[in-house]
Amino acid sequence: MATTATISIASDIMTSFGGISNSMTLTEAGGTQDLKETTGYSRKKLASASKVDLFVMANTSVTSADNVAAKVFIKNIGNGATPSIIAKDKGVKVFINSVELGILYGGDWLMVPVSTVDAEDIEVQPESDDAVVLEYVMFYQ
Amino acid sequence: MATTTAAVTLSSDLLSGSLSVTGSSTFMKAGTTADGLNQMRMGRNEIPTGTSFDLLDATASGVDKANKVYIANLSTDNTYYVIVIIDAKVIGRLYGGDWMFLPWNMDDVTHDLEITAYTGTNTIEWVKFHENETLLTQGD
Repeated sequence: MATTATISIASDIMTSFGGISNSMTLTEAGGTQDLKETTGYSRKKLASASKVDLFVMANTSVTSADNVAAKVFIKNIGNGATPSIIAKDKGVKVFINSVELGILYGGDWLMVPVSTVDAEDIEVQPESDDAVVLEYVMFYQ
Repeated sequence: MATTTAAVTLSSDLLSGSLSVTGSSTFMKAGTTADGLNQMRMGRNEIPTGTSFDLLDATASGVDKANKVYIANLSTDNTYYVIVIIDAKVIGRLYGGDWMFLPWNMDDVTHDLEITAYTGTNTIEWVKFHENETLLTQGD
């Protein structure tokens, strides 16, 4: 029962940059046991510039602790139409307990380790009222 | 236009139906559709335990500009970890062998990205793709 994530980065900004390729298996804190719990893969459509919760730690079965492993993946897939229009100039701010991590523009994604302490919720807020769809999942122990 | 892309593949068999997700992002300057990020910095650091270090300083010229940050913990001992902090808020623990990728937004000049190592000296590798950085004048 394994979950793996692989990243590949390519860039022509610097001629000497050869790119990055790295894989990881999501494991429990400080060990080699695979993470065994997940929220499942979800999708949420947002259509107003209001902050909403994506993950409420107290509402998940995750242990409230800062010493367990958890990883969050979020992807902005555009407006969700068929075909989805991916606006690179329209973003969604991502917060952890009201501290801004960054902005996911159309097509952007993130994968970060998170604390699962209650109240350290993952929140999102579109920059405009235009429709935007996020896909997201959390893996945890 | 400089072109930088980050692709991800996420696979899991935790669910009865297997999960396989892919994504690919092309890095653009904030609020633009055809103007790619054109600056980058990268580094490798050995982080001794117990002290919080600024890995990336927030700057006035970087406020609300686009940044993409990749950090990998190259420590081979998976009991080693670094705590990643933004603006004094703990984001999470990056254990040996793990990587993370995020669109770091400096919403103010206190929005530093900090890192603290635990268990032993952790080795990390990082890359920041960004815009709008200017060199400091000599003597600053």
